[in-house]
Amino acid sequence: MTQHQTIRSSPRSTEPLLSVRDLRVTFQRRDERAFKAVDGVSFDVRPGQTVGLVGESGCGKSVTSLAIMGLLPKRGNTVEGEAVFDGDDLLSLSPSQMRDRRGADIAMIFQDPLSSLNPVITIGRQVTEVMERHQGLSRKEATPKAAELLDRVGIPDPKARLANYPHQLSGGMRQRALIAMALACSPRLLIADEPTTALDVTIQAQILALLKELVVDTGTALVMITHDLGVVAGLCDEVNVLYGGKIVERGGRHGLFRQPRHPYTVGLLDSIPRLDAPRGEKLNPVPGSVADNLPWDSACAFAPRCSHRVDVCTREMPRWDGDDVVGFRCFNPVGGPR
Amino acid sequence: MTDHADHAGHADHAGRDGDSDVLLEVRGLEVHFPIKSGLIFDRTVGHVRAVDGVDLRIRRGETYGLVGESGCGKSTLGKAILKLEPPTAGSVVFDGTDIASLEGEELRRARKRFQMVFQDPLSSLDPRQTVESILIEGMRAHGLDTDKATTQARLRELMSAVGLPPAGLSKYPHEFSGGQRQRIGIARALSVGPDLIVADEPVSALDVSIQAQVINLLQDLQDELGLTYLVVAHDLAVVRHISDRIGVMYLGGLVEESGAAELYDLPLHPYTRALMSAVPVPDPLVEDSREQILLSGDLPSPANPPTGCRFHTRCPWRQETRCDTERPELRVVEVEGASPGHRVACHFAEEIASGAIQPHDVEPVLVAEGFSGPVTGPAPPPPDAYSTP
Repeated sequence: MTQHQTIRSSPRSTEPLLSVRDLRVTFQRRDERAFKAVDGVSFDVRPGQTVGLVGESGCGKSVTSLAIMGLLPKRGNTVEGEAVFDGDDLLSLSPSQMRDRRGADIAMIFQDPLSSLNPVITIGRQVTEVMERHQGLSRKEATPKAAELLDRVGIPDPKARLANYPHQLSGGMRQRALIAMALACSPRLLIADEPTTALDVTIQAQILALLKELVVDTGTALVMITHDLGVVAGLCDEVNVLYGGKIVERGGRHGLFRQPRHPYTVGLLDSIPRLDAPRGEKLNPVPGSVADNLPWDSACAFAPRCSHRVDVCTREMPRWDGDDVVGFRCFNPVGGPR
Repeated sequence: MTDHADHAGHADHAGRDGDSDVLLEVRGLEVHFPIKSGLIFDRTVGHVRAVDGVDLRIRRGETYGLVGESGCGKSTLGKAILKLEPPTAGSVVFDGTDIASLEGEELRRARKRFQMVFQDPLSSLDPRQTVESILIEGMRAHGLDTDKATTQARLRELMSAVGLPPAGLSKYPHEFSGGQRQRIGIARALSVGPDLIVADEPVSALDVSIQAQVINLLQDLQDELGLTYLVVAHDLAVVRHISDRIGVMYLGGLVEESGAAELYDLPLHPYTRALMSAVPVPDPLVEDSREQILLSGDLPSPANPPTGCRFHTRCPWRQETRCDTERPELRVVEVEGASPGHRVACHFAEEIASGAIQPHDVEPVLVAEGFSGPVTGPAPPPPDAYSTP
């Protein structure tokens, strides 16, 4: 549990494992206006690094991950930009090339373990399936490995669990089984989309501890998608805050929480009742809702809800002020310009 | 409606006397759901003990927070208090009347004084009714809709109280955002002028920035109208923020009850400690330095609860004697700094607080879903049953 400290400060010099550049996802339904769910998102993930994508519902964090994994339906969606993984642009791979990658090099853990597991197939079969597909193992060879995997993610009595169906396991155990499936082929990149949101806090703590441990032991890069700033604070090396499909602030985990610059990040932090803060103080919510957003093309989307708004905010799109390590997108940041 | 305003906000008065002030008293409340089996004849093969013997008191103007993980019975308890779920045993005395024994017309009339706010604002609002008709329905049922002008004025007053424009009255629920829908749910509860509002996870379906808006609204309304709240939630930080007193539930029973500030400063039950240490704090410095108590295993099935103390299967402080045989009573403990209103259901609370009993590793017991009860089998030691990084 202590060695994860070392990996946190992973050398920045290493080449990025995944490099997302100017990712854009547009939803277009017939006779309706196109909706930009992801509007030019760029970030890097290095080996052994944990990168967080944080934001409220509708900010585009899940769509980003689905686009990278090639899991968005083709119809009605346009995905532009690049997601370079190990020299290949994932977005330009053919579906069959992508199938070879998915589950082997890149794996994903979803939010709701019950609906992501097949209810009529045993846990064991679902874990071995991945190894049969990608490593060419026979079912006989894969079965003991599956038991090992279940043991590693902390499922008691793993051999007996292989024969269980998903409904026979509790929510926490199902999420562990899903993590075991994701780890089956030792992926180099793991994308976790709200992996603990459906779980109780004590189970959430178990799963987060497990993820931390796995990142350390295997050196897997992790992209953590969550709405919970508390989870981010405990787990991520780098944090990206999304609003309306764009990254509005990025920073190292200590820097971002100590000195948030974008008014939205500040607003998010102020909205959360904290367990360790003095009681009795009023919360300071962000007014309005995402329905008030302005289009990014000609304004800052957050301007209608922003307490730091200046005139230019409703006329022009704020540029990215910073680099690929820290930065923000704001005309009038909290604490003055850089 | 405002006649209780003077009672509002005396939370620090933690003593258990002052009975005249008690608005709601729950004694020995039990709610058991039968488990049926068989194709032709429904045989009852067991009971899910959702709420299994709960005592609590809520004073006027106070906010009582009920926390626990899913399946601990907190929502069922909230519903049983309003008799939306018929209790199996026990009494619920609301301002001198036992609600649990009320029936029919009497119960319907009594409901004017206690209302509920539900978790999911969309599914608890009729999609085919306008906001006006949703709000007016309750008033009509309780004979508050006497003349048109007064009702219209009252509707506008309700809308402005929850921070919605009066123009919203003619709209339908789907035209509102999640936070606004929850405001409509709150306005509906307020429409009949209740004394007690039971809010079941009022903010858990909302985004954090909207959550804070609704929490502030609930607090403002309480200050203004002198309402009494029972807030049921799983988010400890939210509950701590709005509650005066907090009860922690585990598998159908209260395991600890105390003032909100004290519960967080001095948690005495092992489960409360674990629960509190599991909540992520949005501050990397705190996250890196704090002690985390990782509980092993899952919540046991309430259909087949463990013997003795319900928490003993997961408790890192479990002792050889008493824990697995004797169910601990909720009692006042003599621990330095604990106020007289701080009650704990643990045999060894004093020893744990003084450090005389140290935590140890716990082997997880696999819990199966459904009624099959715990699956027994040789369990390997967990990777981190109890760890302090």
